[in-house]
Amino acid sequence: MDVFIQQSINAVSLGGTYALLALGLAIIFSIMGMINFAHGELMTITGYALMYCGLVGLPFVIAAPFAILIAVVAALLMERIAFRPVRNSSGATLLVTSFAVAVILQTLFQNLVSPRSQAVILPDMLAQSVHFGSLSIGINQILSITITLVILVLLNWFLRHTILGMAMRAAAEDFSITRLMGVRANAVIAGAFAISGALAGVAGVLWVAQRASVDPLMGFIPVLKAFIAAILGGLGSLTGAVAGGFALGFIEIYLAAYLPDHIQPYREALALGIVIFLLLLRPNGLVPAFNVGREKV
Amino acid sequence: MFRKLKLTACLTVGLAMAAFPTAVSADEIIIGTATGQTGGLAPYDGPAMQGFQIAVDEINAAGGIGGKHKIKLISKDTRSDAAQTSIVAQELIDSGISVLVTPSDADPSFAAAALATDAKIPAFSPAASSPTLPMMGGDYMFANFPGDNVQATVSAEWAHKQGLKNAYVLYSPDTQYTTLPLYFSDVFKKLGNTVAGEGTYTIGQQDFSAEVTKIKAMNPPVDVVMTAAYEPDFPAFIRQLRAAGVTAQVIGSDGIDSPTTFSLGEAAEGVVFSTAGHATSGSALEGFNKKFAAKYGKETDTIFSAIGYDLMKVIEAGVLAADSIEPQAIRDAVANLENVEGVTSMITYKGTTGMPVRQVTLIRVKDGGRELVAQPSPTADLVPAPRMQ
Repeated sequence: MDVFIQQSINAVSLGGTYALLALGLAIIFSIMGMINFAHGELMTITGYALMYCGLVGLPFVIAAPFAILIAVVAALLMERIAFRPVRNSSGATLLVTSFAVAVILQTLFQNLVSPRSQAVILPDMLAQSVHFGSLSIGINQILSITITLVILVLLNWFLRHTILGMAMRAAAEDFSITRLMGVRANAVIAGAFAISGALAGVAGVLWVAQRASVDPLMGFIPVLKAFIAAILGGLGSLTGAVAGGFALGFIEIYLAAYLPDHIQPYREALALGIVIFLLLLRPNGLVPAFNVGREKV
Repeated sequence: MFRKLKLTACLTVGLAMAAFPTAVSADEIIIGTATGQTGGLAPYDGPAMQGFQIAVDEINAAGGIGGKHKIKLISKDTRSDAAQTSIVAQELIDSGISVLVTPSDADPSFAAAALATDAKIPAFSPAASSPTLPMMGGDYMFANFPGDNVQATVSAEWAHKQGLKNAYVLYSPDTQYTTLPLYFSDVFKKLGNTVAGEGTYTIGQQDFSAEVTKIKAMNPPVDVVMTAAYEPDFPAFIRQLRAAGVTAQVIGSDGIDSPTTFSLGEAAEGVVFSTAGHATSGSALEGFNKKFAAKYGKETDTIFSAIGYDLMKVIEAGVLAADSIEPQAIRDAVANLENVEGVTSMITYKGTTGMPVRQVTLIRVKDGGRELVAQPSPTADLVPAPRMQ
């Protein structure tokens, strides 16, 4: 029983990180109809920011918010430089543009920083844990779970109670009408990128705090997981992205925990199999978006 | 008509010039390197080629191999991708190389090995350690590192001597190298101990909480954990393992011979891993490290730079023994080399299928630095046969 509870805590922690990442993708998709594959590179940027902060000796409590701020700035720049010029193009153009941004950034990291993994100096505290009876929860996991909850509450408040938040929700439902109401498209889209950058930054800090190193290609796997989570949850639906993230976390952890050793090598395949099965049952995702398939922007 | 003839003539000359871009003197040996200078293998292939370059420069400064064969190096990046490795290897083979250097991992090296075998050109991987590489890669494929099965035997014997009894091994079926713990498992059991579990992970998995919970729940408790995971998996694993309060001895292998491992602080303290050498004072390796620092303006932070240097010394010894730069002759000579003096170890290929006999070194992470544990020779009977995963 203890092991089951422990594994469930593990799942919530991993699912939380996936949920943050999937939210970042979903918020852009809901407004622009674009999957931003360069989302992972925002995490990498956060990682490098943490690394440099560590090198100049900034304490982690200052370095982490600073790194997240850098991710927000990077997301805004990404939107201004790469995505604004192609904003009204087809979905395929947007997708390819985001891939191009990802590859250009990876190459820049390789050439300007190093093709090799760089160690990130972290406080030892992050590799410790708190014990409750026979349960032990890593500080890292506690941080991950708390931060995810705080972010979800904050985001919910922002979308419901601020002008920009409401404009973003309206834009997600019908961008043309929203613009007719006098809402500036640039503000809404830049706002979405800023939030997405912040989410990537937070997820990046959590991710790097776990691996203690950063390399140019590190954004690929998390963005892939986030993509799977966002699809599973219902592309474009924010609640769906969170549900998808947690579902993926639970599927992965329970398979790793309870499959017999000799089937373990097929774990990834089984996890994706379950995702496909869920999608067969609910083709638009667990919590479908309000306006699946409608024209964007 | 004349015009057409002229055009054809121009084209022919142009093509001929394209095919032979630079004049190659008859005595010059061309070595092609198809290694991962970017991507996942860069932490290994990058330093390996830096070390390789030092040896090439030294040899050329002394007038070439044996005073007559200057080395011309053509280096290409495989981006750590197997498909790109075969494209690059083919380009190099087409440009008339005598020796091919492949990436430091068995899987992309397989892609190049088939091409090298077809062209009858000897191919060497600087740091691939899977014993299946030369076995499956054919007669022209050589490795340059202590084999996984040998490393695992050394680690298992060491663990046994420490009185450790109950192991958990964590491997990944994704590559040949990451299955090294299965060799450890075989040897450890043969020595009369138990293996409580053989868990798997996916390369790049990052979250090891499920595996760590399993290890922690083992009854009787596990006293040694063996894995061949490397960056970014190993740092994530060891931090989560220690955070969960598991204090078992952790044994790794050469993939974690990297700066990150030594910067992990408390979490990595006491980790023991097998690798190819250690710079004791006055050793050849220490001498090499000084050369490295002089050339690149910084200390080398991994054994792989010296491994690259040693690889060039092996090729040099092969060319000297063959007294030829003809690929077939070099291959035959290398296959019979004995006791080549490398900076990390003596290297012997005679009597092997291409996996060299070399010393294995056990290092302990202590105070964020290296501490030499032992440089034992494995008991020959215990070394498991290579197995293809």
